[in-house]
Amino acid sequence: MILGAGVKRILATLTALTLLVMYLPLMLVVLNSFNTSRSFAWPPSGLTLEWWRRAWSSDGAREAVMTSVQVALASTAIALVLGTLMSLALQRYSFFGKNSVNLLVILPIALPGIVTGIALNNAFRGVMGIQLGLLTVIVAHATFCIVTVFNNVQARLRRMGGSFEEASADLGAGVWTTFRLVTFPQLRSALLAGGLLAFALSFDEIIVTTFTAGAGTTTLPIWILNNLFRPNQAPIVNVVAVVLILLSIVPIWIAQKISGDAEGVR
Amino acid sequence: MAVSTTDETSAGLTAPSGTAISLRGLSKHFGEVRAVDDVDLDIADGEFFSMLGPSGSGKTTVLRLVAGFEQATSGTIELAGEDVTSRAPFDRDVNTVFQDYALFPHMSVLDNVAYGLRVRGVKKSVRRRQAEEALGTVQLAHLADRSPGQLSGGQRQRVALARSIVVQPKVLLLDEPLGALDLKLREQMQVELKQLQRNLGITFVFVTHDQEEALTLSDRVAVFSEGKIVQLGTPQEIYETPTSEYVASFVGTSNIFDSATSQRLLGRDGTHALRPEKISISASGTSTRSGGAGVVRAEGVISESIYLGTGHRIHVLLDDGTRLVVLEQSTGAQAQREQRGEKVVASWSLDDLVPLT
Repeated sequence: MILGAGVKRILATLTALTLLVMYLPLMLVVLNSFNTSRSFAWPPSGLTLEWWRRAWSSDGAREAVMTSVQVALASTAIALVLGTLMSLALQRYSFFGKNSVNLLVILPIALPGIVTGIALNNAFRGVMGIQLGLLTVIVAHATFCIVTVFNNVQARLRRMGGSFEEASADLGAGVWTTFRLVTFPQLRSALLAGGLLAFALSFDEIIVTTFTAGAGTTTLPIWILNNLFRPNQAPIVNVVAVVLILLSIVPIWIAQKISGDAEGVR
Repeated sequence: MAVSTTDETSAGLTAPSGTAISLRGLSKHFGEVRAVDDVDLDIADGEFFSMLGPSGSGKTTVLRLVAGFEQATSGTIELAGEDVTSRAPFDRDVNTVFQDYALFPHMSVLDNVAYGLRVRGVKKSVRRRQAEEALGTVQLAHLADRSPGQLSGGQRQRVALARSIVVQPKVLLLDEPLGALDLKLREQMQVELKQLQRNLGITFVFVTHDQEEALTLSDRVAVFSEGKIVQLGTPQEIYETPTSEYVASFVGTSNIFDSATSQRLLGRDGTHALRPEKISISASGTSTRSGGAGVVRAEGVISESIYLGTGHRIHVLLDDGTRLVVLEQSTGAQAQREQRGEKVVASWSLDDLVPLT
């Protein structure tokens, strides 16, 4: 489609404006992490690495990062195993209630986090009598992490078709050998992409976490929320935010590159 | 439907006259659809057997049942006298060449071919050598290190063949293996398949919707329609003496005379089929051949004449309204004789009529 020069200019301006609104605040956070002024005065009165040094030595921030990494790794691991098994079941076999199961698996990602949070909170404390803590956060995160793995793997399986697995079985390979030598190697990039997305989702989750983490379990987003309005800690929060930006951009970028590459190969 | 030992003179091997595959009352239903409906069939050792039919006729489902990819709704499957009806695909001594080849994209050509040996626990050096041999059989030894994505359709086809024969199955199942190839390549592969089958001496079960392919390659052909075998026989039997209107028109072209036309034109009861090449036509009035005993002559007008290279396909509208298709081979003598609108006499021998049931 050929666009007129005027239309092009309007679209370019709109695009620039949109990107500006999206990314200017982020750049402000980055800049403020070096701002000498404690109250983020504008323009910055000077640049300093003081906040970075303090953030580095802040036990609270470091522990929060460690907790978040633990939670994200564990829930991603659970999601990889269960998500893969579920997509194999739903994509390769037919059974009673298949469509309902399909819907139920995807639902958690559409459900408002607050609902998931309240529901899990009630279930853990009320029904099961489990103390809220690291474990409950991991389980809660896994419920929506599964979906990203599931979606990625299922899309790949659908594109693969079933004949590779049939060919493998035909040549004498049992179910497990077929998975190890044929299915898994072809799922690898889908698993990586799904896993990275799951990790990123878990890492910055706050709503469900609020309802499922015990008093002693502070993930990074919760630590940030708790410290943002303390004048002493606010500059450190900026530093942590910058680290978070970097940590979430990288996996998403890799995930996109992987699925893009995989697209190109086939 | 007993095991018929084929009297093909060309088969230069003495196949042991055992039964490779035996199907009894085999059925497969998908919901309400009877994809395979009560099929009985015996395929002999070393036979080149074709299952011919249009898509949806059940031929591929029979193949998938034999391979073990589908579970039979009822009936039994025996391989070399052993009941394998409920066994998994990896527990059956048959191998399949898939329509889309199904080569593993993440493995090299050599690894693809060696796969069946690898999962059987054959040592690396041994399986490498055997895989190279198998690739040699299909003339692809030089492409061992390529990945399947770098091969042409015909080459992939050969790799798929090599991958199946390297494990030395007793039966090879081929699911429209030449369907994706262009005409020239397909004809070449047909010859190679036939030679390969003769050299290896294993049973080939070949699924195709291409009647010409089935006729040229096979020792015997089963024609499928709606999940049933409608006729089973040698290519010659199938072509020369079709037993039903369905077979007569699916395998090659036929002129079908329904009972009214048969009565009027031939003075016989029942439906009859007549192959286009059995009819000869000559210009009206200049007939050189007077109709002797057993020869039917009918006047008509040429409604269409199509040049085929090897001859002409001529459509004749007989005076009584019957339409005929005539195939006339080019002999060089007749130079552009047949024109549209020309009045002609079509004649054929009563012996060439095939009564249908």
